[in-house]
Amino acid sequence: MTAAPAITDVQAIVEQVWSSFLGEAEPLLPAPVAPGRAFPADDAWSAAVSISGGWDAAVTVELSTPLALSLTTTMLGLTADETAEGPLDADVADAVGELVNMIGGNIKSLMPGPSVLSLPAVAAGRAAHPSGAAEVARFDGVRAGQPVRVAVHVIPQP
Amino acid sequence: MRAMIIDDSRAMRSILRRILAGLDFETLEAGNGREALDLFEAGQVPDLCLVDWNMPLMDGYTFITEVRANRDWRDVTLMMVTTESEQGQIVKALAAGAHEYVIKPFTPDAIVDKLELLGLVNREVLA
Repeated sequence: MTAAPAITDVQAIVEQVWSSFLGEAEPLLPAPVAPGRAFPADDAWSAAVSISGGWDAAVTVELSTPLALSLTTTMLGLTADETAEGPLDADVADAVGELVNMIGGNIKSLMPGPSVLSLPAVAAGRAAHPSGAAEVARFDGVRAGQPVRVAVHVIPQP
Repeated sequence: MRAMIIDDSRAMRSILRRILAGLDFETLEAGNGREALDLFEAGQVPDLCLVDWNMPLMDGYTFITEVRANRDWRDVTLMMVTTESEQGQIVKALAAGAHEYVIKPFTPDAIVDKLELLGLVNREVLA
């Protein structure tokens, strides 16, 4: 049987990361999307970390571009002057990468170990998934009307 | 008091820099352990280091072992600030010479609490 984190644990981790760095003024609310349905934003950023060792998996985060920009502005503490033309792509990649790093690291701690967490891979666009991986847990949420998805994919072992 | 923030994420360095600035720390930054050691070797030795674990070129654990291997740097306080929250990793970092360990995500209060435990911050004076 494939080990998988409980969806409630994944949701708690995502909410904790979110509230720690973005505050609770505009909370992240659950917004379930039916299994198999596409992420509800055409313009998105995504990031992934892999976990290997006692448990082999990948954790992906997808979020709409407006949400990724908001995350970046808040995490970097950018002023209105600095954000007049929007954050740089490199800054967005950095912030989204740190987001998946925190979520992935905390999910890893719930699972059999010891395991190693990879450095994050970030892309402008939808997330790429490891070939043959099976999604075992997913949280869909919205903040200020903008969607975010966190998914856990387990990589089958031969 | 001078602190060095060692993390490959500019966003995380920015968050920690703002917390430390509110505590009147002067801050230096490095994007990985190697860059931090280069600053040490150039004479930029801080009183406190906040150290991430997973970084390119040199990770935080290796950085801590390198700092602890040099007697000239024995007075530097080392605090891990990382997503690595497996018990084995925490024990390993503390055994290597880290004084404190903070798991991401954290609140500013969590950082202040740890610095107070280390005797580097006094809330009564700050208030």
